[in-house]
Amino acid sequence: MLKLVVCIKQVPQVSDLPWDPDTGRLKRELAAGMMNPACRFALEAALKIRDKIGARITAITMGPPSAEEVLREAIALGADRGLLISDRKMAGSDTYTTSLTLARAIQKNIPEFDLILCGAATNDSGTAQVGPQLAEELDIPGIAYVNDLEIVGNKARVRRLEDDFIETMEMELPGLATINTGGAVPRYVSMRGFQAAFAESDIVMLDAVSLGLNQDWIGAKGSATQMRNVSSPMAGRENVVLTGTTKGILDQLFMLFDDRIGGVIGKDLKTDKR
Amino acid sequence: MFAEAEIGPIARDIDREARFPWEVVEKMRSLDLFGMQAPKVFGGADMDSISYAIVIEEISRVSAAVGLCLVIHNSICLHPINRWGTDEQKKRFLPEMVRGEKIGAFCMTEAGIGSDVGGVETSATPEGNDYILNGTKIFVTNGGICGTTLVFATTDYQNPRRGATMFIVERETPGFIVGEIEDLCGMRANPVSSIYLENCRVPAKNVLGQPGEGVRIGMESLNVGRIGIAAQAMGIAQAAFDDSVLYSKERQQFKKPIASFQTIRNYLADMATDIDAGRLLLYRACAALDSGSSVREEAAMAKLYCSEMAMRVAHKAVQIHGGYGYSKEYAVERYFRDAKVTELYEGTSEVQRMIISREVLAKRV
Repeated sequence: MLKLVVCIKQVPQVSDLPWDPDTGRLKRELAAGMMNPACRFALEAALKIRDKIGARITAITMGPPSAEEVLREAIALGADRGLLISDRKMAGSDTYTTSLTLARAIQKNIPEFDLILCGAATNDSGTAQVGPQLAEELDIPGIAYVNDLEIVGNKARVRRLEDDFIETMEMELPGLATINTGGAVPRYVSMRGFQAAFAESDIVMLDAVSLGLNQDWIGAKGSATQMRNVSSPMAGRENVVLTGTTKGILDQLFMLFDDRIGGVIGKDLKTDKR
Repeated sequence: MFAEAEIGPIARDIDREARFPWEVVEKMRSLDLFGMQAPKVFGGADMDSISYAIVIEEISRVSAAVGLCLVIHNSICLHPINRWGTDEQKKRFLPEMVRGEKIGAFCMTEAGIGSDVGGVETSATPEGNDYILNGTKIFVTNGGICGTTLVFATTDYQNPRRGATMFIVERETPGFIVGEIEDLCGMRANPVSSIYLENCRVPAKNVLGQPGEGVRIGMESLNVGRIGIAAQAMGIAQAAFDDSVLYSKERQQFKKPIASFQTIRNYLADMATDIDAGRLLLYRACAALDSGSSVREEAAMAKLYCSEMAMRVAHKAVQIHGGYGYSKEYAVERYFRDAKVTELYEGTSEVQRMIISREVLAKRV
């Protein structure tokens, strides 16, 4: 049976991020966690393959112990089991050490995998690097920003939207694809799924020792990049009053804001005749 | 997530248009919401009662009328069939109900009987292997959309209580006529209707439990139903509270958010405390139900408290919103209308107090 691995990440719920207005920092302890949206799409892509041709789906996440919640959610949605990589020594991992750690966990636990699916990007850091780096680390082909895919023989046929083109590509398995939020709409958790997620203990806990990872390779220590500061870009608001004739006001408006208006209506107002 | 994304955008319109959202039913079916506590062998999710109450609260928080549909279907139609039905009846009725292809309803109330169920006038006359049902049921929740119903009737006109019997009746049965949809103050998206039974022939194998057990089955079904109504009231209260917190932080008066005024803060504190107290009573009743003990008192207390609490909270929510709270532009007026009926159906607050006091007095000789 086809063996699928879906990498998912728990991110803070963006709709109500508790920013501290004095320090401009996120009060992480107050932020509720959720499954990163693109990861939901990656899981849905896996479930669609499972529904069509059958597959065993392992969901894997790396994070604090609370990340178990997103694994439970993945199981409720239809994944068969979860792997939780959690270790204080892994705190501060950048994308490089994260992909190294994920690669080791996959090699040790699902060495005969066929396809790894990741969200294209997370909405808390948005580097879009972990998927491609994981493919490199495992020395397998990888395609990023995929909209939908199907399994054809020993290949994955993927489609992705790039600019105004739809690209169709094929990739030998085992391989890796990162999934955009534009594909099949993720399903909701069913009530039977809920029951399944909490009825069975099908989550495996992994730490640095069990993965045989040297402390110098992981976490902040092994990271090639360091986070210096995180702050909220405080959006400023200003009221601008334009006066004059209607034509005069319009000319001023376009002169001041043509790029922003153009962005909304999808036209380059500098070159378009208006 | 489901309720906010799928029901949220239409909650206001279905209330205003008094329209039942069939498009949502389709989606709820795939989530097993029509068989939350039904056994797995019939395709149900076999959930515990606290999980069930949480789901009802979450859906009712967005649309109490949709929550109501699920409470009636799950708690007082499907649940009694599963509890008292024969194996044959369960096999015949449950799978379609669990899949949501047939929505359940409970036909008890008549023009002359509300709280006094022993005075039932709908007659069930034995004829061969059948019963012929005649009478009029009113205020049947889900009436306009029902597929499978429980009908409360009596075989004994002299002593209706002694002959009271519960029948499983399907909508297609000749003589089962769905009347006009009621024009109600709240829960407007639920098609509450009258049901006319005109020489409605029901096979004896559709009797739920034994003939004469109707009052017991009806009352015990309502005990379970009250837990669902309490959960529904919780959802309304939570929605009214959430909107009030948001509004009081945004609304400025005297150049300050009204949430900075002590009076508004006191309101919010009282609302929050009231909601938590109700939720604990509700969960206690759920736990008692799952442990298999009688929940007559616990369910009545939860229903009484949560419904009156929802009314208090919705009342405060309108007050916090001021004139806007009285406008259809904001949702709190809908919560206020929806909250009221939770004090009325499945036993009025007065009936709950009657039940509780009876239990309390019986325990202290």
